[in-house]
Amino acid sequence: MTNPSAALPAAEQHTAPSPPRWAMLGALFGFLSAASIALFGPIGVSGTYPRFVGAVLRAITPEYAAANPYLVKMGTVVTPETMLVIGLLIGGFLSSRIFAGAKAPAVDRVHARETTDARRYVDAFVGGFLILFGARLAGGCTSGHIISGMTQLAVSSTIFAAAVFAGGIGTAKLITAWRA
Amino acid sequence: MNLVYGLFVGIVMGALIQRVGASSPRMILAALRLEDLTIIKFMATTIAVGTVVAYTMNLGMPMHFDVKPTYVIGVALGGLIFGAGFAIGGYCPGTCVVGIAEGRKDGWMAVLGGVVGASVFTLVYSLIEAPLIKPMAYGKITWADVLHLPTIAVAVVMAAILLTAVRLLPTRRTPA
Repeated sequence: MTNPSAALPAAEQHTAPSPPRWAMLGALFGFLSAASIALFGPIGVSGTYPRFVGAVLRAITPEYAAANPYLVKMGTVVTPETMLVIGLLIGGFLSSRIFAGAKAPAVDRVHARETTDARRYVDAFVGGFLILFGARLAGGCTSGHIISGMTQLAVSSTIFAAAVFAGGIGTAKLITAWRA
Repeated sequence: MNLVYGLFVGIVMGALIQRVGASSPRMILAALRLEDLTIIKFMATTIAVGTVVAYTMNLGMPMHFDVKPTYVIGVALGGLIFGAGFAIGGYCPGTCVVGIAEGRKDGWMAVLGGVVGASVFTLVYSLIEAPLIKPMAYGKITWADVLHLPTIAVAVVMAAILLTAVRLLPTRRTPA
């Protein structure tokens, strides 16, 4: 296959100029996602949210939880995927502490309209709402659909990825134009 | 044992997301504004390497593939909604968790919004299943099924397409 040096492991880079960091990290993530499929299944995150909601509702109102078709379909919260999400917390924490680099800001305002921290929080909340609603409608998110799905050559994930970037790039443009 | 594997994969994945900067809403918005494609190139490289490695391993050992079903309306509409949320908040369902881990307070708001969004979806699922999820449903199909080609061949072509795009597109655009 045509394999640009960008995807080669570090050891094979003696003569070529060193690949950018994102390429090395991407290649490592590729091996990790393949290893995950070998060990237990493709990586995924967004299903954990409704499974968590289901676990809470089963504790509070078991009759309702048992009667809700989506909660029944998603099943128990005790899954490798839930452990993966816990792992994200541990890995993200350790990595931010161990490796040198700019410390993540507590609140990073990314849109011109976010003139206060409160407005940033509103955007983060609204964004969080939409990504989970959209992911559950489509059946997966960036990890489950785009990364794992395209890795498995899934038609659905290709449609999802195209729609995400169309919607994301379009919305980013709209937000910028709104202020300008 | 699978729970332990899940935890292990999550720890490494969390570190990779943190290292590349995908947990930064600023990096996500730079990508969606087409100013800095680092995160998109990172994802494309991940898929290219992952697909070739996974389908090469599949030649010699059983793999736990789990392809998501194709239902055109729900997947496309869900993707558009996801994209809008991605641009508004700058997070995806996993990167906000990593963001919390590295001290981003707005990550908590994204997770909270996500729990509410997932709860609302749970409430409306039985209403939207018939119009959005049942029609134009073709099952768990891959491009290898559609093209009637061996999976490894399609994986190599997929990787070649993605890596070519990664090579050709500039990573950063200097603002005019």
